[in-house]
Amino acid sequence: MKNKIITILFIIIIFGFGFMGIIFKDKEVSIFERRKLASFPIFNRDFTENLDAYLLDQFAFRNEFINFNSIINRKVLNKIDNKDVYVIEDNIYEKNYPLNKEKVLKFAEKTNYIISKCKEENRIYYSIIPDKAYFLDENKYLKLDYNQLYNLVNNNVNAKYIDITNDLNIEDYYRTDIHWKQENLQKVSKIIMENIDQKYKYENYKEKEYNNFYGASYSKAGLKIEPDKLKYLYSNGFENVEVKHLEYGYKKVYDEEKLEAVDSYDVFLSGPSSYIEITNNNLNDNSTLIIFRDSFASSIVPLFIPYYNNIILIDLRYIDFELVAEKIDLNNSDILFLYSTLIINNSDILKVRI
Amino acid sequence: MLFSSITFIYYFLPITIFLYFVTPKKYRNIILLISSLIFYFYGERSPLLIIACILNYFFGLLIDKGKDNRKLFLSLGIILNLCLIGYYKYANFFLENFSKVLNIDMKYLSIILPLGISFFTFQNISYLIDVYRKEVKAQKNILQYATYITFFPQLIAGPIVRYKDVNEQLKNRKESFDNFAQGVKRFIIGLSKKVIIANTIGEFCNILGQAQEKTVLIYILQAIGYTLQIYFDFSGYSDMAIGMGLFFGFKFKENFNYPLIANSITDFWRRWHISLSSFFRDYVYIPLGGNRKGILRQILNILIVWCLTGFWHGANWNFILWGLYFFVFLIIEKLFLKKYLKNGIISHIYTLIVVIFSFVIFNIEKLSEIGIFFKNMLGFGNLKFINFETIYYLKNYVVIIILAIICSTPLIKNIVEKLSTHKRFKNIFCFIEVSGYICLLLICTSSLISNSFNPFIYFRF
Repeated sequence: MKNKIITILFIIIIFGFGFMGIIFKDKEVSIFERRKLASFPIFNRDFTENLDAYLLDQFAFRNEFINFNSIINRKVLNKIDNKDVYVIEDNIYEKNYPLNKEKVLKFAEKTNYIISKCKEENRIYYSIIPDKAYFLDENKYLKLDYNQLYNLVNNNVNAKYIDITNDLNIEDYYRTDIHWKQENLQKVSKIIMENIDQKYKYENYKEKEYNNFYGASYSKAGLKIEPDKLKYLYSNGFENVEVKHLEYGYKKVYDEEKLEAVDSYDVFLSGPSSYIEITNNNLNDNSTLIIFRDSFASSIVPLFIPYYNNIILIDLRYIDFELVAEKIDLNNSDILFLYSTLIINNSDILKVRI
Repeated sequence: MLFSSITFIYYFLPITIFLYFVTPKKYRNIILLISSLIFYFYGERSPLLIIACILNYFFGLLIDKGKDNRKLFLSLGIILNLCLIGYYKYANFFLENFSKVLNIDMKYLSIILPLGISFFTFQNISYLIDVYRKEVKAQKNILQYATYITFFPQLIAGPIVRYKDVNEQLKNRKESFDNFAQGVKRFIIGLSKKVIIANTIGEFCNILGQAQEKTVLIYILQAIGYTLQIYFDFSGYSDMAIGMGLFFGFKFKENFNYPLIANSITDFWRRWHISLSSFFRDYVYIPLGGNRKGILRQILNILIVWCLTGFWHGANWNFILWGLYFFVFLIIEKLFLKKYLKNGIISHIYTLIVVIFSFVIFNIEKLSEIGIFFKNMLGFGNLKFINFETIYYLKNYVVIIILAIICSTPLIKNIVEKLSTHKRFKNIFCFIEVSGYICLLLICTSSLISNSFNPFIYFRF
């Protein structure tokens, strides 16, 4: 009897899931994994490899299996991190480990190279955004030596450092995403602007809210976790602001169409973009701030808008510095390097040829 | 195609099972042959398998029919097989070493090692020798012979199935519910060994290898990890092969018998990769004279066997060293230690330590790095014994390590056997057992979907 049951169940499972994989309609995109899924391959040399990828991607109840696997790893195998992701009280932390000294020093070298191209009269600043793992208990979790990272950068970058670490805590970051929350950044933006000798400008922001934000870390955790609320601060002054992307042309400060896209965080300045010029027509003093930045800047930069006539955002992950150097006027500008520890510890990604 | 892949488990296997059982009995071997060729050529372009199969089929006939020149045909057949494996697996190794010794520049050959060559070559050789010894008649039907050689469960990573063991089953076998169910259990156990244990321990070893600050304990854990990973990887594959053989009515011999509980290295090799050690015993050691020609000749015979065993595993000096390492311990045991190694705890600890050190040699291809590894592992490398990072990794994988250690002993098997025959618990346990197997299958599936860390170690041999 037992043998019959085992045999029948085995047959049902292997035939059933295989059959469902064939008859279910193929999905193009997985929101859960935030990526495009493989489609049925064309017949070429890589056919078998592509077929494996296709069958794996289109497997029936794929998301549920990923979820199940994550639970097994965390609850049964008692793993502290699963695939370099910690989940602590529904907050997802991506492990940033180990410290890569060479890359951190390379970051400093790349930054100094850009600084060497600037005029001396420019006011040049940098700030380091701690990633979420910075806030982990170092006695329980593996995290890089942040003190050493900060010291390496501070001892080697030839610009004025703006410390924001004391004004941030884990509540200032999304639970399901690596990024920080814009609604909690007014204090940080004030500190940065004050350090650049800008007088504080009060802005009457109104909060807009999106309730269904599943961040980039969500798919890596593989667990069913409540989505975040994504809030963004809107000011009437933004009506008079032009945002011009090198890739997409003119856009708004907040691209609300992106809220329903795979990555809702792209609502801030329309997401990844190599070069953006923001012109605040409420001012006409030609004041310019050039920011070399990563994705964390997208959410804080709208809070800098009231202070400058022009803000130029350069993301060196997507464009070579030599290309961008021709476009920008490095005279009479304030310059800010605003990078997260994630990028600093992985600085190969920055396209600066030294 | 990998056994532990979604393509194999949820598409290839059910389609093959379906076609096999709806086909009339006399055509079923054709289904197995076609599906085996699809399985093989799904990931392989070299036609060597087919060429070797056809050539050995004809050599088998020539040896069978021949009168005075049987030995000549056997020798030619064996030489041909050795030339094929020599060219595909060892040519570049010899070129590299000749060029080093003679200090000349030699161009390496652009050769891709055909999948499973070490296994199907040995099966072909065993067939020719068995036909020569008249232990079995040559197969007249080339399709039957091809079915034997290419049969997908054992084609790529063994066990090395001998023709004389399956000859009768090829012609006449009985598929049954009971056999199929035993096969299902065995297949799921093998899959779990591979996917849940070997892959996770492999991940553990990789992470330890990339640790920011190495410690003595990291080296020790890596060595233990290598041993567990190879054991569960390879024995898992063998279990799946044996299980799938049962689906189609074939009974293969066991390839592993809890080698990590052995009480001596001699005992270990009676339990580890049994089909390979028995191949060398029957086709090399005994024909060389075995223990019948005095102790010195016996030692020489053992030396030859262990050089070949090492070299069979790979065209690299570390594998030869690995074979010689075992040769040394086997000789020490034979000459001095035999009487002291009984079932005591000391014997087990001694065996485990020797085995764990052996898999360090097995895993590290550069000989110079092996010495450094041992130095660090034994605490002579000026390293801390332990640090937070080591403790963290150990904590992260401690459950799977304990599980692996338990599963490397017959403990669970004995408990299952006892409970399934116990009067009071029989029915409840039946339910638990069935649920357990199904859970394991679903856990493996979830792991295959979530992970990409999956290659079988023994595929490279």
